[in-house]
Amino acid sequence: MSIKVKNLSYTYSPKTPYEHKALEDITFTIEEGETVGIIGSTGSGKSTLVQHFNALIKLQSGDLVVNGIDLAAKKINYKELRRDIGMLFQYPEYQLFEDTVAKDVAFGPKNFGYKKEEIDLLVKEAITLVGLDYEEVKDKSPFELSGGEKRRVAIAGVIASRPKVLVLDEPTAGLDPVGKREILELIHKLKSAYVKTVIMISHNMDEIAEFTDRVIVLNDKYLIHSTTPDNLFRDENALNGTGLRYPHVVRIQNLLRENGLDINLEKFTVDSLINEIEKEVFKKDN
Amino acid sequence: MARDLTLGQYYPVESFVHKLDPRVKFIIMTMYIVGVFLVKHMYGFIVVAAFAILSTLISRVPILSVLKSLKGILFIVIFTAILNVFFHKEGRVYFTIGKLLVTEGGVFFAVKMALRLILLVLGTTLLTYTTTPMALTDGLERLMTPLSWIKIPVHDIAIIMSISLRFIPILMEEVQKIMKAQRARGAEFDKGGLIKRAKALLPILIPLFISAFRRADELALALDARCYNATPNRTRYKKLKFTYRDLIALLSGISYIVLIVAINHRFWIPDLIYSIPFV
Repeated sequence: MSIKVKNLSYTYSPKTPYEHKALEDITFTIEEGETVGIIGSTGSGKSTLVQHFNALIKLQSGDLVVNGIDLAAKKINYKELRRDIGMLFQYPEYQLFEDTVAKDVAFGPKNFGYKKEEIDLLVKEAITLVGLDYEEVKDKSPFELSGGEKRRVAIAGVIASRPKVLVLDEPTAGLDPVGKREILELIHKLKSAYVKTVIMISHNMDEIAEFTDRVIVLNDKYLIHSTTPDNLFRDENALNGTGLRYPHVVRIQNLLRENGLDINLEKFTVDSLINEIEKEVFKKDN
Repeated sequence: MARDLTLGQYYPVESFVHKLDPRVKFIIMTMYIVGVFLVKHMYGFIVVAAFAILSTLISRVPILSVLKSLKGILFIVIFTAILNVFFHKEGRVYFTIGKLLVTEGGVFFAVKMALRLILLVLGTTLLTYTTTPMALTDGLERLMTPLSWIKIPVHDIAIIMSISLRFIPILMEEVQKIMKAQRARGAEFDKGGLIKRAKALLPILIPLFISAFRRADELALALDARCYNATPNRTRYKKLKFTYRDLIALLSGISYIVLIVAINHRFWIPDLIYSIPFV
């Protein structure tokens, strides 16, 4: 289960006045088991790139092999591909449509041809996994739920088909800080227990620094970095010209360093930052 | 993408036609349509077609993309042509199919009606290709101003029109987004019979309606928050100006109508050309 991208380019509305190049000569590989973050400023081609993975956008030029399926081929088994690559779009709660939560979550598994008994189990499992009480919500209308709950239902709707890869396009956009944290922890939980590979688009560098193993940086249709968050955020010039900012913890660390507090974060998390500061401050006191 | 929408899409190039005052374009469009329905003779049709083709060439919109707008009406054109061929009986009989007669007059009538439909759509498409929705409603509002003297809420109508036009691309984009999301969950929209396809639309339509109402609510709030009440004496950001270009366009529109009426009534036109058989 890997995603191999080679020399991929994509142009919107080619040969019209609206022609717009979205991706240019992109090459990288995502291996099974990775949690990959994709970052880049608005319009850098992130969403266009990930929508290639389950053939929502047709390959124009270059090679793309997903889970052994060659997307340049004439005949593609879309059902299998889209079952294996679960995709959660931005503001997924706006895509709910059924009259009950259970039915909405069952939409994917039903389309992918799971059997009736299997579907009931999958739905129950998915709703429980996203942290909702199955018995309580299953007969509710999705539109009665709160924003965060709706988003959980939408996530359940994707993972109920048991994808091998989960692609998330800004999963925390528009949520309050607590809601953001909960969704991220949910994704982390899913990654360790349910899906093998997670690919996440985000504007929030702190999320990327904390939750991913590798970061792919797009800048104006080109891939400029594919490296660990550690390498990326320790390199002070890596994000020059991209319009992206470093994670808050990194910026705080750098500021403290400039002002004479010699700390070096092992992990880019708030807890790690607090620990380091405490260590240094107590060392000075003694 | 919503950008692929062909019918009635603004085509952004600079040209004589693009720069015309929208009011003038509306007037010329009206003249053009009147012309399309006035013409009787085949020579008249040549004038109408020439007018449409010349305007397209001047507008620098590729003829092909204007022709694409005909795809949508192809069925209606063929359908009406077939009906006209069979139900208009006049002149020499070409052949019969059972009780149905195919006559010379019927064939001409069918061809003329088909040409009328095609020319009608070509001309009106050019208007939306060369005028932004905002300019369109602005022009329409100014042209309808006299109606406000008899208490018709012209400005309200104009603002409703411009809002609806403004929301078409937004909703199209929304449809694309929802379709992608549902396809990612295994939905298929192009498989199965009519009923299955209609049912497959539900997962798009319901979220679309919900979002349309949400947007309408938000827009109404935003208008209210800025004390918008559609008063008639608002000032304008873009003032419409009547220039020499508009004069030239209007004059050519007038000569177009005069020419068609002249051909219809055989004024000034040598009798000779009417003796050519296909007229």
